[in-house]
Amino acid sequence: MQYQSSLNAEELVTLATQNYFGNVDQKNLQATLNCFHDEALFTIQTSFTLHSGKTAIKEMFENFFDSYETIIHRDFTCTVDEKNGRIAANFIAELIDKKGQKTLLNNTNFWRIRDNKFQEIYVYMSGENVLK
Amino acid sequence: MTNFAYEYYVDIVTKRYFHGVDNKDLGLVLDCFHTHATLHEMTSDTLHEGRDEGIRAMFEGLFDRNGRIWHGNFVHTVDQQSQAICSQFSVEIFPHEIGRQMRYENCNRFYLKDGRFERVFVYMSGENLLK
Repeated sequence: MQYQSSLNAEELVTLATQNYFGNVDQKNLQATLNCFHDEALFTIQTSFTLHSGKTAIKEMFENFFDSYETIIHRDFTCTVDEKNGRIAANFIAELIDKKGQKTLLNNTNFWRIRDNKFQEIYVYMSGENVLK
Repeated sequence: MTNFAYEYYVDIVTKRYFHGVDNKDLGLVLDCFHTHATLHEMTSDTLHEGRDEGIRAMFEGLFDRNGRIWHGNFVHTVDQQSQAICSQFSVEIFPHEIGRQMRYENCNRFYLKDGRFERVFVYMSGENLLK
């Protein structure tokens, strides 16, 4: 679906990499959720998993934050389509669980922006789904 | 740096590259790539190097192992500044070995130089078909 975004290219990158991933890495749940519309759709496309609406997305992040001691997203390469309110990013996800086991993923996300928040997000993972 | 229009990126992906794949037109597909291009299937970490070496061999195998191939339902993220297009799409494909149609929801990231693919990254929602 096509939405109207109010953000310019720089603001789209800031929303995806700082407001969103910056807060995910700090486990700031409320600030992370503030990036989403109430009825947002969060799809992990490589495992056909859909989290529909902010309540389901909140539960997913609570599980995610509880599963890993350390969460780092880094080395972003952003592709920004300002005209259409869309941004894609490739990045490394570095996750360390409570037993010290490290997981490295080379993922790609796609975001579709309505106004100034995420309406849809699609995650393509290079390994097993960690957002359950 | 040559400045290509927004639609150039959409057209090379849909009207040349995937049109060529769906019609098993190897020449049309390979013409989208630089000779030194790479294609990296990320979900299985499989790297194909060189248009006339690894990439050609991969497509020959893909065309040989499968009947009907269809790519559609595209949503593109186009960045003229960085000469990149990231595309989400559905795939319907009929592997001879399985004997029935398979459905995938994939994405590709294409990074271009002077109007041709230099680096392509593929994510698949199922088993790697680009062996």
